[in-house]
Amino acid sequence: MNLKLNSLRLNNVMPRVFSDREKDLQSDIWLHDVEFQRGKYYLVEAASGTGKSSLCAYLIGYRHDYKGTISFDGRDIRTLSTAEWVELRQRSLSLLFQELRLFPELTAWENIEVKNSLTRFKDEKTISRWFEAFGIADKKEIKCGRMSFGQQQRVAMIRALVQPFSFLLVDEPISHLDEANAHTMAEIMQEEARAQGAGIIVTSIGKHMEMNYDVTFTM
Amino acid sequence: MNYELIKLLRQHINISQFVGFFAANLVGMLIVLTSIQFYKDVVPVFTEDDGLISNTYLILSKRITAVSSLLGEASSFSQEEIDDIASQRFTKRVGRFTASQYKVYASLGVGSLGFGTDMFFESVPSDFVDTDPAHWHYDSSGHEVPIVLPRSYLAIYNFGFAQSQSLPRLTEGVVGMIPLDIRLRGNGREERLRGKVIGFSSRLNTILVPEDFMTWSNAQLAPGADTAPTRLIVEVTNPTDDAIARFIDDRGYEMENDQLEAGRLTYFLKIVTGVVLAVGLLISILSFYILMLSVYLLLQKNTTKLENLLLIGYSPARVSLPYQLLTISVNFLVLVIAIGLLLWIRSQYMNLLWSMFPQIEEASIVPAILCGLAIFVVVSIFNIIAIRRRVNLIWQHKE
Repeated sequence: MNLKLNSLRLNNVMPRVFSDREKDLQSDIWLHDVEFQRGKYYLVEAASGTGKSSLCAYLIGYRHDYKGTISFDGRDIRTLSTAEWVELRQRSLSLLFQELRLFPELTAWENIEVKNSLTRFKDEKTISRWFEAFGIADKKEIKCGRMSFGQQQRVAMIRALVQPFSFLLVDEPISHLDEANAHTMAEIMQEEARAQGAGIIVTSIGKHMEMNYDVTFTM
Repeated sequence: MNYELIKLLRQHINISQFVGFFAANLVGMLIVLTSIQFYKDVVPVFTEDDGLISNTYLILSKRITAVSSLLGEASSFSQEEIDDIASQRFTKRVGRFTASQYKVYASLGVGSLGFGTDMFFESVPSDFVDTDPAHWHYDSSGHEVPIVLPRSYLAIYNFGFAQSQSLPRLTEGVVGMIPLDIRLRGNGREERLRGKVIGFSSRLNTILVPEDFMTWSNAQLAPGADTAPTRLIVEVTNPTDDAIARFIDDRGYEMENDQLEAGRLTYFLKIVTGVVLAVGLLISILSFYILMLSVYLLLQKNTTKLENLLLIGYSPARVSLPYQLLTISVNFLVLVIAIGLLLWIRSQYMNLLWSMFPQIEEASIVPAILCGLAIFVVVSIFNIIAIRRRVNLIWQHKE
């Protein structure tokens, strides 16, 4: 699998749990032919329970309970090996999980280190700069379990950025952030995506991140 | 492996479970190693090769009963009987004992002390005696006769005679340095010779001289005397073979030494060692399960962490590694301590063994250590595979 992914394609994909309401499913994503391209920014707007987090889980290879075909650069992702998924997660796809998946017993800094030590993609200076930009520079040595959800969201954002990626998936990134922090996050994300020539897929159920989206889908 | 990963994965390690495994595995390993080592150390006591007469030699004689003595039946073996023995499938070769046909008087002088006795000589073919041919040989000009004595004679002297007469005890080496004065009489002649004890045998119940000396002396002092053998030395392929005992009973012969007894004792020792070994292995296997259970429990408690690590790009191999290293370290520590304890236990019982059987040689400790290493390797490989399989289940969200 080439580490520089150019396209993520969903062909007639639908979560299996939706089978019983297949007929009246109103969605731009499910049961359509959708392609996400590198370098472009996408917004996926969704109401609760429409399968937004399922989409993220399918794309990161965490779940496979769907019908249809998802392919990366034409390769059906059901055929990817464990080693290929590990490579993709380290170097091609970065996901900011809605549930964050931080380690509460580690400090904010250690949480970033766990991820950064895989590729050593970012140096300490850059990471420190981001901590400052997000206004959590004083929280570096605080255990994540003792931080607010909004603060944790920012730590998780930094963690999503300390790896090379072709696509950055962010699942409801600003649900607990104020306008200013949301704005900072959008700035840093776009800056990183530009630098790597990467695509961004943002999901949102309410307020969404202000960015120049190329395409907006409604789930 | 980075510090954060270790910090994460050491969460929920249950020390008491590991101590339990450690103790159980140590006991199992120690029992296995000790039983192997003990077997290696003790078997030579039963199957001891006395250096002069090989273990695979049996000494046969005819059974003497009151009736046979009264009837004057021959107690010597005829040529047919010897051929019969030689034709048995367990027999490799047969040698005859030749007895001296003249009178022998031997005396021994130690300083002012001296004593002498009437005695006899016997010989067997030289190739049945495992000693340097240069020493086991007599030429009529040298006048010094090499002699092998039964080890029991020395014991009788040291523990019976010397003790009661306040005489010095003698070691085998010292006896070899005392010259024996030998007088042979027969055929109206007398020969004075010097003898030298060159060794002791615990397998031969006779006073052995070289065959060439016997041929020479019988020809000199008892020409034409009957030399039909009363005892035979038989080399067999396997001294513990049942067929030998049946054959001997069937023909009414007697076996002079305790080879069969030793065979039975060795067999018994093998069974006992086998049972102890099996118990040790069983404990080892059970302790392996304890370790596996506690590692599974640990993985279970850390499932969310492991899943998160896998989702941010850690490979299953990488998150398995700390647990694999943990179990390997514990296993290795068990191996090292078990070997240390084995050496200590061995030094204790070897002192006892040496005080009872000073002549036995120290057996090698290598087989026991190799066995310990083998257990370590097998258990560690199983641990490595089991941990990896568990992590793979987490990868597939089946946990």
